[in-house]
Amino acid sequence: MSSTTTVTPEKTAEEQATWSGQSVPRKEDRRLLQGQGVFVDDVKRHGMGFVHFVRSPYAHAHIAAIDVSKAEAHPAVYGTLTGEEVAALTDPFFQIASVPGANVKDYALAVGKVRYVGEPIVAVVAETREAARDASELVEVEYEPLDAVTDARHAQDDGVPTIHEDAGGNLMWHGVYEWGDLDAAFNEADRVLTIDELHFHRFNSTPLECDGALVEYNRGTGQWTLYTNNQFPGFAAIMMGPAMRCGLDKLRFVTQDIGGGFGNKITSHPQLVACCLLARKLRRPIQWTEWRTDFHLSMSHGNERWFRETEVAVKNDGTLLGFRTKALDDAGAYLRYEPLGGVIWAQVTPGMYRWQNIRVDFTQVATNKAPVSPNRGYSRMQHLWFTERVIDIVAHELDLDPVEVRKRNYIKAEEMPYTTPNGCVYDSGDYAQMLDIALALIGDVGPRRADAEARGKLIGVGIGSTLDSGTNNFGQSRLINPELQFSGNNEVATVKLDIFGEIVVTLGTTPQGQGHETTAAQVVADILKCSVDDVHVRAGHDSYWNSHAGFSGTYASQFAVTGLSAVKGATEMLRDEIFKLAGAVFGGVPPEALELADGGIRIKDNPEAFLPFMACGAIINANNAGLPEDLGVTLNCRYVYRPPFQVPDVEKKYGNLTLTYAAQVHVAVIEVDPETGYYDIVDYAAVDDCGKRINPQIVEGQVMGATAQALGAAVHEVFEYDEDGNLLTPNFYDYHVPHALDMPPLKTGFVESPSPFTPLGTKGMGEGGGAGIHAVCAAVQDATGAIVTDSHNPYQRVWHLLQERP
Amino acid sequence: MNISVTINGTTCERDVEPRKLLIHFVRDDLDLTGSHIGCDTGNCGACSMIVNGQLVKSCMMLAVQADEAAIETVEGLSDDDELTKLQQAFKDNHALQCGYCTPGMLMSATALLRANPHPTEDEIRKGLQGNICRCTGYWNIFEAVKAAAE
Amino acid sequence: MLLREVGYVRPGSVAEALAALAADDGARALAGGQTLVNVMKARAGSPDVLVDLNGIDALKGIELGGDGTLEIGAMTTYSEIVASSEARARPILGEVCAQIADVQVRNRGTIGGNVCTNDPTNHLPPLLAAIGAEFTIQGADGSRTVSAADFFLGVYFTAVGPGELLTSVRIPAGRSDGFAAVTLGVDGTCIASAAASLNGHVRVALGCVDAVPVVLEPAAADADAVRAAVQGASLDPPSDVHASAAYRVHLAEVLAVRAVQQAQGSA
Repeated sequence: MSSTTTVTPEKTAEEQATWSGQSVPRKEDRRLLQGQGVFVDDVKRHGMGFVHFVRSPYAHAHIAAIDVSKAEAHPAVYGTLTGEEVAALTDPFFQIASVPGANVKDYALAVGKVRYVGEPIVAVVAETREAARDASELVEVEYEPLDAVTDARHAQDDGVPTIHEDAGGNLMWHGVYEWGDLDAAFNEADRVLTIDELHFHRFNSTPLECDGALVEYNRGTGQWTLYTNNQFPGFAAIMMGPAMRCGLDKLRFVTQDIGGGFGNKITSHPQLVACCLLARKLRRPIQWTEWRTDFHLSMSHGNERWFRETEVAVKNDGTLLGFRTKALDDAGAYLRYEPLGGVIWAQVTPGMYRWQNIRVDFTQVATNKAPVSPNRGYSRMQHLWFTERVIDIVAHELDLDPVEVRKRNYIKAEEMPYTTPNGCVYDSGDYAQMLDIALALIGDVGPRRADAEARGKLIGVGIGSTLDSGTNNFGQSRLINPELQFSGNNEVATVKLDIFGEIVVTLGTTPQGQGHETTAAQVVADILKCSVDDVHVRAGHDSYWNSHAGFSGTYASQFAVTGLSAVKGATEMLRDEIFKLAGAVFGGVPPEALELADGGIRIKDNPEAFLPFMACGAIINANNAGLPEDLGVTLNCRYVYRPPFQVPDVEKKYGNLTLTYAAQVHVAVIEVDPETGYYDIVDYAAVDDCGKRINPQIVEGQVMGATAQALGAAVHEVFEYDEDGNLLTPNFYDYHVPHALDMPPLKTGFVESPSPFTPLGTKGMGEGGGAGIHAVCAAVQDATGAIVTDSHNPYQRVWHLLQERP
Repeated sequence: MNISVTINGTTCERDVEPRKLLIHFVRDDLDLTGSHIGCDTGNCGACSMIVNGQLVKSCMMLAVQADEAAIETVEGLSDDDELTKLQQAFKDNHALQCGYCTPGMLMSATALLRANPHPTEDEIRKGLQGNICRCTGYWNIFEAVKAAAE
Repeated sequence: MLLREVGYVRPGSVAEALAALAADDGARALAGGQTLVNVMKARAGSPDVLVDLNGIDALKGIELGGDGTLEIGAMTTYSEIVASSEARARPILGEVCAQIADVQVRNRGTIGGNVCTNDPTNHLPPLLAAIGAEFTIQGADGSRTVSAADFFLGVYFTAVGPGELLTSVRIPAGRSDGFAAVTLGVDGTCIASAAASLNGHVRVALGCVDAVPVVLEPAAADADAVRAAVQGASLDPPSDVHASAAYRVHLAEVLAVRAVQQAQGSA
């Protein structure tokens, strides 16, 4: 089924004795295996009202009238909320965009107009789930349908309806990125390849648990408590507070277990605002469960992007000199996290290659489709797919081996840290080595090809190499809108010794399966020289822990850097305090004479002088008379990790946008049935380098999961619309995700190139699965001999490509 | 309608509307929230339970259809706090990440191993085909079931 | 996801079930529920009363006659067909049922439900049409047995009228059968399907291309004759998100040939 090859730096004896680097079994597992996890729909409150959202059946329409009186008259209904009320009670959500996107007005419920099928218009709250659903059918909405804009390529044509009148048109954002000397590059080229249009399709990661919340309002204090599975509470609070005209501290976010996020649980703030308003209006807790169809219709589609009029300057030997392209991005009906997608790709502008001369003309438009927001690999995946397609198309047109073209152009290990044309710094990595490992895992495809041909089938081999840039510098948002006041990044952790010496850790993150409780404990245990079993990491996230900062959450491949570095910092603070305390208790012993061991601290030369953690905790908390006045020890340490970033140069669009660059190289082997276009993935290798791995098994799990999602997207998963703006894949019946029988054999390989920029040598990881899409596209191209221009290749498309064969 | 169900060995009587799905009855009325809901078309299997010895998706049955039935859910897999061999195998093989599909996956694996104590990998895949996981890619789940079968 | 209010009865006999169905225009039979419950979740169809057939023993069971004929109760589940030693008399039945969805669906879904739903993408209508199955329907006036051609009338529409029930499906003796499909993922919903029977005849039935299975009788069992028969059918299938009409027509041809080749191999 799977085998693993690992290439890691030599470990010293000391390093081998650490928790970090071991596949420690997860602390999270027991409760999850016993069905004792607490997911948001498990949270119940006496008297809670269940909310159902009435959603638009039209992609684009004026709302002429809304009548909720019949719904309100339903005996089990507690109340309703309409867009009109929302517009009176709240201000439109803050817009990241500069003009024209800045003028979009986005509220918790549709105000005046609906702009996509599934947009929430009215909220109905009732005693039971079923009653809320029943009563929603009694809400009467009069629509005046308008033509829908469903193709981003025509969103700016004359005569096309305007989706946001306040923005004056469907253009949301436009920017031109240019670095190097394009003219020189194209003059120097032996050939200029033109690629008319490349298309990256719309899909997302469909976490098994959809969004949800249980919201309580405390009338006396004006405090809302949101039990929810939003994975970026820092962002949600920043969006919700100003809209609701309340301070951010009035919004307490509590999460425990989250059933997958993958970026798709970042933009639930509109529904959360609706729930908050209802909790206050109706004076009872409000329970919201998003059903699968609701999620597919309305939540967090990944960016659909075209790359048009691409020109690539190359030498005859395959050396890449430069490219220019026009990127067109479809944001859907509202800008919820967009247009950040318009800059985030620039973290990986040249991909893994030594291009120096690059021009990207980036346009983002609105359409009458679900709003786009981050999906695993957010915006980098689209761009890296583009660079990989270019590589394979160059190889195809020049009749060169795609392996050789990659190796000729890959950034080399000895060039690391490598500064890209736009000032991003790739920290470490050996891409050529990874490619060799991946190819070795696949082995000789010759026999397989011969066997397939004997059965009338075709074999295709494809490479997908990609980067997972992690730990964002939010200063890149200024490249979208120079007036934004965001920059840098941060994450918080607290570590304390309780009265009985328990080590208690709180994080600012919102894990959705990445094992934060476990890996945090590993880092703490290494520093305090105790067992991971002695470290208690609180599950989930709670604003009341005061363990979070502006950017807290779990997204964008950063926990291993931001979260764990915060944990490291807090634990080192705690360690230093333990040394100070022990030194004082022992009568003035200096720190260098002390050491941690066996769950306590002792004098090196006199191990019998031993203070267990229990004693330390008890002394500070309950028995502290007589301690020196200036001791400065609390044993309750809070640390804010701040990665070293500068504000990027907005004029030149230059600067380091992400701290770390994990890398992925995948190879796919497919067998195609030329009569039908049906294909199977018959062999697959995924090689990953995310720097130092704190828990190798958890890292491998992320690689596997990301790969599976990529393969699903490559072959089956798509959010496709008809021309009226109806989503044709609104549930798991039509939107096919991989099941057990769909999985190919998998081989994995790991390289550890530590990051020189992070406290632990770790790099954020988990979003690199896009490599699977690139690899499958390349394999389809190899098998069919036809140029693949779309990221989505279901059997029908492959069959069409086969018809194009010369 | 009054129904009586025996769930994980305990008999409960409740009055339910015929339209209530079995999964909602178990989660909302019986407060057993280990079984989950991941879709609305019966495709994901997160709600999988064993009813009268048969593995079913409880979102595709009405609670009233389970009158007089014996139901097993994830909460009933282990008698005490100890993990069963199957649960331990899931833990050892990192066969869960977010844990949302896990209860349903465990019930499907349980049903499989009862019918077929030593399944091949193909039989394992077939037995788990009705359970979607978005986190793991399934490979570690196959290993876990193999380990539990040994 | 949340159903409308509905009444519910669980009769113990066919007579009781027929009475319940006749008593209310909005009464519908509930078989395995693997389709109907989904329809009700989406509120695309909301019966007033559900007549649960799961307690009627007379509708279950598989009998193998001395002449090799199988009589399968309408409430027999896919799992029961797969496990049945009697059903092995016509092996294609278990082979195809084993490909339907997953264990959970197969434990509840029934042959009767599958054919009475007559969704164009269902596996059993083309299979049963190809092998010449017959369908026994019972109503207040008694029972009648009809051929596949007279049973499958339109999308979601069969010869079972209001107040009636399909009670059993009769399968003639035979073993030279084949079934080929392209599905949405392994064991997934059919995008295109074809069933073939070579038991003293050459019969092919195509699924997914029309409201009802398209039954063809190619002049011979070779690939050219089969392709000619499919082309001669002037198929006009729907286009949807999974396949264009043209792709479906192409697949129908390929799968028909493969189903026939399978049938030849299984003789």
